[in-house]
Parts: sequence; C-alpha cells; structure tokens
Amino acid sequence: MQPIIPSADTIPVAWGWFQFLLLLTFPLHLLAMNAMVGGLAIGVVQHFRGGDSRRRLAHRIAIILPLVIAFAVNFGVAPLLFLQVLYGHFVYTSSILMGLFWIAVVPILIIAYYGAYLYDFKFKGLGAAGKWLALAVLLLLFCIGYFFSNNMLLMTLPERFSEYFQHRDGSLLVSGQSEFLPRYLHMMTGALAVGGLFVALLGRFKAKSAPELAAHASAVGMRTFFYMTIVNVGVGTWYLTSLPKQQMLLFMGRDLAATICFIIALLLVIGVLVSSFRQQLMTTLVGTVVLVYLMSFLRSWLRTDLLADYFNLSQLQVEPQYSSMFLFLFCLAGGVVCVGWLIAKTVNVLRSEI
Amino acid sequence: MNYPVWYLPEIGGGLLIAAIAVLHVFVSHFAVGGGLYLIYAEKKGLGENSEAILDFTKRHARFFLLLTMVFGSITGVGIWFIIALVNPAATSLLIHIFVFGWAAEWVFFVVEISAAFVYFYMFGRMDSATHLKVGWVYFISAWLSLFLINGIICFMLTPGSWLENQNFWAGFFNPSFWPSLLFRTCIAVMLAGVYGYLSASFSRDDSVRISMTRFSAKWSLLALLGALPSGVWYVMVLPEPAKELVLGKSPTIAAAGQWGVASVIVVLGLSLIFGFFRPTLNTRTTALLAMLGALVLMGSFEWIREAARRPYAINEVVYSNMIFKDDLAALDEKGYLQTALWVQDRDIGPENQLEAGRELFIQQCYACHSLNGLNNDLMPLTSHMSHQALVSYIGKIHKIRYFMPPFAGTQEEASMLATYIASGLHGKELVDPAATSAADPGQELFESNCASCHEAEDLGPATEEMDKDGIAAMLETLDELSDEMVPFEGSEEEAAKLAAFIYFLSERAETPSSPVTVDGAVLFESECAACHAAEDMAAALEGWEPAEIKEALDKLDEFSDEMVPFEGSPEEKDALTNFLHKLGREN
Repeated sequence: MQPIIPSADTIPVAWGWFQFLLLLTFPLHLLAMNAMVGGLAIGVVQHFRGGDSRRRLAHRIAIILPLVIAFAVNFGVAPLLFLQVLYGHFVYTSSILMGLFWIAVVPILIIAYYGAYLYDFKFKGLGAAGKWLALAVLLLLFCIGYFFSNNMLLMTLPERFSEYFQHRDGSLLVSGQSEFLPRYLHMMTGALAVGGLFVALLGRFKAKSAPELAAHASAVGMRTFFYMTIVNVGVGTWYLTSLPKQQMLLFMGRDLAATICFIIALLLVIGVLVSSFRQQLMTTLVGTVVLVYLMSFLRSWLRTDLLADYFNLSQLQVEPQYSSMFLFLFCLAGGVVCVGWLIAKTVNVLRSEI
Repeated sequence: MNYPVWYLPEIGGGLLIAAIAVLHVFVSHFAVGGGLYLIYAEKKGLGENSEAILDFTKRHARFFLLLTMVFGSITGVGIWFIIALVNPAATSLLIHIFVFGWAAEWVFFVVEISAAFVYFYMFGRMDSATHLKVGWVYFISAWLSLFLINGIICFMLTPGSWLENQNFWAGFFNPSFWPSLLFRTCIAVMLAGVYGYLSASFSRDDSVRISMTRFSAKWSLLALLGALPSGVWYVMVLPEPAKELVLGKSPTIAAAGQWGVASVIVVLGLSLIFGFFRPTLNTRTTALLAMLGALVLMGSFEWIREAARRPYAINEVVYSNMIFKDDLAALDEKGYLQTALWVQDRDIGPENQLEAGRELFIQQCYACHSLNGLNNDLMPLTSHMSHQALVSYIGKIHKIRYFMPPFAGTQEEASMLATYIASGLHGKELVDPAATSAADPGQELFESNCASCHEAEDLGPATEEMDKDGIAAMLETLDELSDEMVPFEGSEEEAAKLAAFIYFLSERAETPSSPVTVDGAVLFESECAACHAAEDMAAALEGWEPAEIKEALDKLDEFSDEMVPFEGSPEEKDALTNFLHKLGREN
C-alpha cells in the first residue's frame, strides 16, 4: 500500500539554499545541545562525587548552563525552520502522529530551564538538594532528546504514517523501531563526549584566575571526551548495522560521496582520539567541530536516501522571490556584527577583571 | 485535508493555541517594551546618581531575564509547535511564504538573547555608556523581532494584494501592518510600565518604590494614550467582513470586547492613581491587579484579532479547518471523503454512515468545536437539533454565520455529518423526513430553518403577542432583528405554514387548523400523483371553485372506474381541495 504523504508547498528560492542553511545551522545546534547535555552530565557526576574541586567545577557548569540552554534552543530554531521548508510535509505529519509527546517538549523545557536557573542562582543555598535538582534537569533534557529522536526518525518512515488512524490523539512513538535505540544513544553519547570538551574549554577560561579548577576541568573534560568517543564508535557501529541494508551500504560504496565523507569522518575520529589523549584541547575542538559537521552531512544523506522512494528535494516547486533572501542575508550580516561587538565588549570587561 | 488532524475531542486544538499564545504575547511584548524601560530606568539612576534606583534596575533586569529568556522564548517556540500541530496547512503556507522573514527574526532573536545576557551579567561591571548601548542593541533587536513577526501575523488577517500577486513584500507590508505595529508597540510600552509596578512594589526602599511607581505610571499612561488611536486605525483598515465582526456582529468578539474595555479601565485607573494621586497605593496586591488587567487586555485583543479572521486561518486563502477556499467547488462536486488525504475508509455505504460522519466532524468541525470540552463545545450547541435541522443548517452554515467555514462536500456527506451529530453524539433516533413532512410541514420548516439556533419552547413566549400575519411579516425581515439571521427564503405559502407553526407554539385559545398539520401537496403526491401529473390536473381544474372540487373528491368513482372516492379526514379533504384549487388557478 502506498504511504499517505501530504503534498509540499512551493519554495521561494532553489532548494539548495535551504539545504545549505540547514546544514550550516544544524551542527551549531548540535554543538550547543552537546555542551548543554554533556556539560550538565559531567556537572552532575562531579556534584554527586563531592569534594572541593569537583563541587567548584559543578558550580562553574551551573553558572554557564542557562546561557548554554538559551543558545541550544536558539540555534535549534533556524534548522527546524529550514527543515520545515524542505521536509515540512513529512515533519508536520510525524509531529502530529506523536503530538502529545511533541507538545510536551515545551513545558518540559520550561521546567528544565527554570531548574537550571535555580541551580545556578541558588547553588550554595540548595546544599545537597542541588545535585538532585541538577540530575532532574538532566533527565528532563534526556527526555526531550528522546522525543526529538522519535520525531526525526518517524519523519523518515512514511510507511508508518497510516498508523495515524490508530493514534489520532498523537500518541505514536517509534522507540520500538530497531534503529531507534542506537540512533538515540549515538546522539546522547556524542553529547557526553562533546560536553567533555566544553568543560575542558570552561577550565581554559579560568586558567589564570583559578589554575587548580582549570586543571581539574581540563583533566575531567578531556578524559570524558576520550572514553565517550570510544564508546560512541561502538554505538555508531551498532547504529550503522541497525539500518536497513540499503542505507547501510550507502556509506560503504553505494554512494561515492557519502562513502568518502564517512571515511573522512572515521579518520577524523581517530585524529581527535589521539589529540584528546595528548590533552591538545584546541586541536581536538577544531577536529570535533568539523566532525560534527561531517556527521550532520551523513545524517542528511541517510534521510534523503530513506525518503528517496517517495520524495526528493528537486521535486519542490520554486516560485522565485530572491529579494526576501537578501533581506535575511542583510539581517544576518548585521546580526553577526552586533554579536561580535557584544562579545568584544564583554571580553574587554572580563580581561580587565583578571 | 492534506494533513492529519491531531484529535483530542475533549480539549480542542484552539484551546491549546489560546493558552500558549496569550501567555506568550503577555511576556513577549514585555520583552520589547521592558528593554526600553530598563535603559531609561538606568539613565534615571545615573542621572540622579541614585544607587538605589540602579539597584532596582538591576533587580528588574534579573526578573526581566528570568521571565523573557525562559518563559518568553520557550513559549514562543511553543506557539510554533502548537500551530503546526493544530493547523499544519496554514503553518506550512506561512513558513514557505515568509521563510526568510522568520529567518531574519531568528537573527534578531540571537542578538536579543546575547544582548540580554551581556546587559544583565555586565551590570555594574561595564562602563555605563557601553552598558546603555548594550541596552539599546537589545531593545532595537527585540523591536525588530516584533516588526517581523507583526508582518506575518497581520498577513493572516489582511493578506491584501498578496492574494493577486503572491509577492513576499505585498504580503508582509499588508494593510494592517502599520496600525498593528504602532498598536503593539504601545502595548509593549504599557506592559513595561505595568511590570514596573510589580518590581517597584517589591522594593523595600519607600523612596524608590514611590519614584519608580510614578516613573512606571508615565509609561503606562502615555502608551494607553497612543494605543487608543492606533487601535481605531487598526479596526478601520480591516476588510469589511472582519470589521463587521469586530464591531459587534460576532457575539464572542462582543464578549471579549467587554473584557477588554474593563481591563483598560482597571489599568488606566490604577496608572492614574499610581502616577498622580497616591503612588504609595502600589502594593503587591494592586500591582498584581494591574498585571491581571494587562493580561486580560492582551488576551481580549488577541482573541478579537483571532476571531476577526474567522472563518479563515489565512483570510480568503485557507479556512480554520485547513480547507483551501479554492478547493471548495471541487470538494462539493467530488465529495470530501473521496478527495481528502487522511480518510481511513473511502468505501461509504449504509453500514458506515456514522463512521463517515465522524471523519467529517474531525476534519471539518473539530478545528473549532470540542466534544464535552471547554472550548466551543458542540454538544450543547446541537442538543436540540434534529437530523433534518442539522442537514439544513450544515448546508447554509457559512451563509447564516459568516465566521463558520462552509461545509465542503456533497449533500450526502452533509447528511452523514448530521447523522453523526444527531445519532452518534446525541443518540437521537433518525426520523424519516417524509414522515415528518406529512405530519406537519410547518414543523419541518421550523426544523430546517429555525431549530439550529432556537428552541421551540423559547419561541412560543417570544411570539405570544403576535398573530400569524405578524409572524409571517417578521419572517421576511429577520435580518433586522439580528445580524446573525437572514430573512426566511421560502415561498409565501411556506412562510404562512411556518408562521402558523410558530403561532401555535404559545398557548392560544384556538387550536391548529388542518392547513397547519396537513399538507395538500403531500396528499396530492400520495393520493393522486401516481396517475395524474400536476400540470395535467392544473389544466383540468382551471376555473373550478373549491366547493366543486370538494364535491368531486367525494365521487371520483363517477369520473372513472379506476378511481375511488377520496377517503381522508375532513381536514385532509380541505387541504387537498385547497391545493387543487390553487393548482387550477395557477394554470
């Protein structure tokens, strides 16, 4: 039986622009999300294990956490927008099929966010309760990730869309799908690893004012990154083998570009493992940012291939209105200048305080 | 119909949108005006060299950050989520038309949160001039976010020339863009003042509390002064149907308008007291009352704006139930269930009428009506309607009530929907329309034309003082009684029958005579039409008097061996006589 797939709306510029913007902004969201989830996870472990330096590190993470959440959310807006432009007819449908859980993301995030502020502003006052609060926030964030993984997987499974008629209330989840668990764990383990780098970077900013804290943060962060990346190689392999054979082979020669990208990514994994083992933070960081971009490309290839029987992006009808894109590019340039100015002024203050 | 419907019958999607949207706009407009307020509060503290006012400003900035960054920004994402779940067709269209408008708004969102963090965390750590500049960066980016989102929201109400040219700029700078922008800016400033009351009421330093209460009152009063003409301008640019709804034709808007006026009075009254008479009266309780007033004001404004757009989600483009206006004709011809994408069973037969009706309810009514829920519950609205009344009402629903979308589908589908509502939801037995017709044509007319809105027992007392002719005359001018009614469109004869039925709804000395309960046309159909065409009879009876016809009915066997004398009651004989006489006269 042919799956039920809504018809797509027209787009104002060629689809390649949206694909470019999607692949440009989505890794930014991933990096911020990783810093949020992974950073908090390390903070929770540090807080539970106790001791002065561990608690100080947990406090540093608590202070930065609300900012990181803000940017994780904000950087998620742009890719979700471009995703809706390109794949709206799939992702609106999958969102409705799991509507109860999808809308639950909003109150869960509000609670987690306020929890993070409470953890930050009342870190000392909360005493032992603080670590439990942080754990609760972390679990809520894992829960949000679980719902996102469900939706992003479901949108690539149009053959399951007809289950709507048994789930009109939006109660469908695809956690039982064989590739779900490795996919979700791959994302979360990656978050823990990159969170390690984020914590090490936090330490770097404190190298002069609090060298002991900086050393501790760097050691914990780099160690977390190293071990979690090794674990994630295993989880990633599990994910690859859980995919339908056609899609697994996509990265093993069926598509040359995808295969080359996959090989480069694997080589880069080895590179960042070596550099993190050698405690080379900046090298590891740059390598990881590139790696996250490559992984996003692979993810996009996979989605395109999973939907290939039903849809490809070139089918989208274009009704050209490029002037609106220039408005965006003009605003983007202005925004980058403003944010750059804000960062420069803040850095000046922070430097003057050291 | 292109997308599935997220179906929560007891809740209704509209309620979820309203709950998230009203709270979001209450905070997001504060996020704009509050930014400007912080700049001027800080300048006031610096100008007066007052550490206490600067402390107040910092505490207010913290409250501002916690409210706008967390609740404001996440509920903003929440609106996006919920509108995509409840009306993905309209959301998708908006996203695809205005994608770069949304994207530009995202850029300002990035700048906004960056500046908000720098402003708060660098308060007292950065030199004042730079810190104020950061405040300006925040406010300008927040206002530009409003500028962009305002264009898209206004497009939904007044798409203007976009309807002809589909041009991004025509859609963005649509007819209500500027009045709405001015109105929303005023509201944002007013909210800054009202939130200022709350922060001031928490101040332990009396001089700061009084000073900042007066300061805040100036903001609220000036903004309210500006909101009034911009609000009038806003209404003036609305398209005619929307303007009529706003100016009283829609009962829900009228109710929301009353709440809006009451809330303006509360905010205005408290602002005048705080600003000019007794700023010391700004306690936590009164400040919360002002907040509540502002929330109700915001809620009623948004409610009116949303309701004025009805029956559309995007005016003149797509209805609130996701059906595109351009698709209506094809749906009426081919049938909704055969055309829509998300239909479980297209094979419709007598055995699944209820299920088909339920499908139609979900796809065409549920967008605005819940079942046993809080939001526009369909159950009490249809409890007194028979199947026949529903069929008739569904057929002309948009005509009677402009703010409801027209039914999209065939006559049979309208009947299936009526079956689901009358029988499936209310458990009513379906009555054969022919039987009803024969029993009482006046009642049938009442069911078809009046019962969707009026209970028979209510109309009795209402027409107690009128005679049949008065009621019949009133039926021709129903639009003068209420904007929601249209004049009765039946023939003179039908009007007389309906008037007679209504006349006898109240207690009368006389009893209904035969023409009220017996229909000559129906008798002709059942007794004569099998052998005689009406036009043949009309020719044969030309010039006959009623008495002659009545006499002839008693001896029909004398005209032909194949006929027998009419055997009905005297009332039925009268009715048939009248009908045949009229037939002869009309020839």
